[in-house]
Amino acid sequence: MNDKELLPWLEKATLGDESAFQLVYQATHQDVYRTVAFLVYNKQDIEDIVNEVYMRMWRSFHNYDPNRSFRFWLHGITVRQVQDWKRKAWRRIRLFERNRQMTCEQFDWTDKAVLQSEMQLELLSLVRQLSYKLSVVVILRYFHDYALEEIADMLQIPVGTVKSRHHLALKELRKRFGMTGGDAYVH
Amino acid sequence: MSIDKELREELRQAADSMHCPPDLYERVHQSYQHFVKEKRGRSPMKKRLLAGIAAVAILIPSAVYASSYLADGIFGSSAAIEKIGGSKEEYQEIEGFLKTAKAKLTEDEFKEYMELTKQLMQLKMKITDKNGIRDEGKLTKEEQQQWEQLATKLAPLFEKITATETAKP
Repeated sequence: MNDKELLPWLEKATLGDESAFQLVYQATHQDVYRTVAFLVYNKQDIEDIVNEVYMRMWRSFHNYDPNRSFRFWLHGITVRQVQDWKRKAWRRIRLFERNRQMTCEQFDWTDKAVLQSEMQLELLSLVRQLSYKLSVVVILRYFHDYALEEIADMLQIPVGTVKSRHHLALKELRKRFGMTGGDAYVH
Repeated sequence: MSIDKELREELRQAADSMHCPPDLYERVHQSYQHFVKEKRGRSPMKKRLLAGIAAVAILIPSAVYASSYLADGIFGSSAAIEKIGGSKEEYQEIEGFLKTAKAKLTEDEFKEYMELTKQLMQLKMKITDKNGIRDEGKLTKEEQQQWEQLATKLAPLFEKITATETAKP
């Protein structure tokens, strides 16, 4: 289902139409869930954020400009909710505890979701080691295929900043990838 | 393989292995229902609040008026009617009539009736001298027109008051 078809349903859903809600949820939940799961690694947190994304979606539908892509609007909301959550988490947990937790979470996630499928996703685990500022650019660029200008618009930062973060992220990935899996290509 | 291509492919593969847990639907659904309830609940609450304020605003002045004469609303006081040769008894008579009017008419009709009568009485007082003699020549053309308009508007209300009075057993 494309943007144009979804819009009337979304409007109906904000007016309280249950079946419209189901339809909108079915059409969008995997995308929202995956976007959040690429940026946040704790299962409980991911679910909290997805729930908040939908709340924000109903509440701010009146702000949506129908001339723009629905997908862009939805991803904007998703990224902002993730950022809000990160800000709150930063205040909640002290830096050193946070770092410890993040390492645990990474193993947790990798074990269950990725290794289970018996796939070697080295690059992905490297993306997860990047700072949030860098990884969000990578996800929006390579998972959602947004242009750097669009990413700048969505994150509300200058294009130059996006370009340098994109560049830095790729540099880091190349460097680390070369150190681990990249050996196979050399020899 | 370039890093761009590799990244795209790995992210795609990883995404395919990530599945939104089915029980999350129930949670999102619950917050959605909460949102709908809140949205629906909010506007009638506001309406009720506004209606409440309006009711208080109406009740306060009408409570003040209720203790005084209805006729005061038209003439100001009995002193005004005495100036044009009326008596306190006549004033009481008018008051009695207004009370029946209030009982027979709906609230809105009565308000209209009072307003129209007040305007008509002001015109009448203007052309009546101390001895109670009227001189319609004192009215300007516009005032005469106004008089006629008031009279036509008042006629149906007046009929309603007297009709229900006679219909009463």
